Amino acid sequence: MRTTLRWKAFVYLMTALVLIVFVGPIIWFVMLAFRSPSDTYSVPPTFIFKPTIESFYVTFVNPGNNLLQLRNSLIVSTGATLLSMPFSVAAAYSLSRFRMRGKKFIMTWYISQLLAPPIVFVIPYFILMTWIGWAGTYQSMIVLLQTITIPFSVWLLKSFMDELPVELEEAAQVDGANRWQAFSLVTLRLAVPGIIVTSIFAFVFSWNNVLFPLVLSKQATATLPVGAISFFASTGIYWNQIAATAVVAMLPPMVIFLALGRYVVRGLTFGAIKG
Amino acid sequence: MPRPAKKTLPYLLLAPSLIVLFSLVIYPMGFALVNSFYFWNLQTSPAPMFFNGLANYQMVFTTTPFVEALRNTVLLSVVGTFCQFWLGMGIALVLYSNLRGMSVVRAVLIMPVAVAPIVVGFLFRYLFAPEGGLLTWLFRTAGLPVPPQGMLGSSSTALLSIGMADTWQWTPFFAIVLYAGLLTIPPEIIDAANADGANNRHMVWYIFLPMVKPVAAFLIMIRFMQLFNIFDLVYVLTSGGPGTASRTLSFNLFQEGLVNYNIGLTAAMTWIIVIIVTIIINVYIMIVFRGQEW
Repeated sequence: MRTTLRWKAFVYLMTALVLIVFVGPIIWFVMLAFRSPSDTYSVPPTFIFKPTIESFYVTFVNPGNNLLQLRNSLIVSTGATLLSMPFSVAAAYSLSRFRMRGKKFIMTWYISQLLAPPIVFVIPYFILMTWIGWAGTYQSMIVLLQTITIPFSVWLLKSFMDELPVELEEAAQVDGANRWQAFSLVTLRLAVPGIIVTSIFAFVFSWNNVLFPLVLSKQATATLPVGAISFFASTGIYWNQIAATAVVAMLPPMVIFLALGRYVVRGLTFGAIKG
Repeated sequence: MPRPAKKTLPYLLLAPSLIVLFSLVIYPMGFALVNSFYFWNLQTSPAPMFFNGLANYQMVFTTTPFVEALRNTVLLSVVGTFCQFWLGMGIALVLYSNLRGMSVVRAVLIMPVAVAPIVVGFLFRYLFAPEGGLLTWLFRTAGLPVPPQGMLGSSSTALLSIGMADTWQWTPFFAIVLYAGLLTIPPEIIDAANADGANNRHMVWYIFLPMVKPVAAFLIMIRFMQLFNIFDLVYVLTSGGPGTASRTLSFNLFQEGLVNYNIGLTAAMTWIIVIIVTIIINVYIMIVFRGQEW
């Protein structure tokens, strides 16, 4: 590519534009959380206002309804992640290490679950959970989230396990280890970083999911995004409190994605594309 | 190592996840199939009320704006994916320029992708506020005609606004992944093209685009389906309105099932949607994974 000065200037100009467009709105929204209700809107919009943490105080301290929802989000996302891992590790190991008939069908079947519309699940489960007395429970959401976390984790974990050398496992077997020992003592240990990365992504996807909790939770088990929705009151929208809740809800995934760096491409493409 | 174990072990390891996932998927499908033949309003009865034959399937088209929702969904998915791909490709090429600071830009660009779609909905509702919304103000200042009831409140711009919000969130996703795809192009190929006197446009058309094709195909599949299933953004931004102007298939199902509680009708609609989606997914899988070795 050309590297003349004019070319450079053009590229930097485009970069600046890209950053303003894609990062600007996030900063604008974070600012909203620090505005007082009277500063919510102004024409023309202004960056100058007296910042206040009043919204965070209302939502997380007194009366602090969102503190409970923050806890619920943690419970549901952690639960969904932990539940899916044993299933996914076993399946990913199998798909990564063995030749078998129908592997292509199985792999594409997993991914078609990720591409299917989640809305078709919620109404039958909404009714089922009432019948079996699970309505509004954590476990109802955790179980339903498996439709996302299991197929995702199988795909991503398989891509990590594919990269671990088979030779080490074979060497262990030559040295007298049985298949299980070779798996648990060699491959599983080596796969730990991959399992951690996969868990983090499964956690973020569960954390950001709103459809399942929206339908399956009750007030005491509502997650943070559902909590933000509840600020759409009939009397008007509490924008500052929505923003305060939303900022807290988007902070963990954002920090995680920034920290994961080179793994992000891989995670977001279910391991199909190595970043 | 005993031979028989080797034959069954792979399937034994797969079985738990397949059984769990299959049970989770088969129940709603079976539920919808059975109840699609019954009249059942959950507000008046906790159980199916009477056998209805194929009437529910007919009513999907006569009592709900299904065709309009399908049209909106297809429009949103096709146009949205198209815009996100090309904008993302443009940004990927900017990153590929390898000028100083691009690694920081790449890292920061992931931010919109990390935000929950529901939060993106709140953000854009704030930006699109009819009075005092930042985007409304920017558009008006630039001389663009923003309807007095705001972008989200007008039936001519509601769907467009949803598409803009989704494009904002997912263009960086295309950019970052396509950039990763560009980085895998062997330098020899680029050197050879340069030696042959290829200009920038030639490079993009004959080297970059063909080389990222597998990556692009996979990305387009994921994004097209996510857009086809879009719910969160529609729910927060417009609730399918005004009227039914921005209803999508998922939102239409939600509205019938969890607002009007017509379970039988919703069940029939579920199957119609499942058939449409299954066809699209399988076509994509055939194209994207053709010749893929696992």
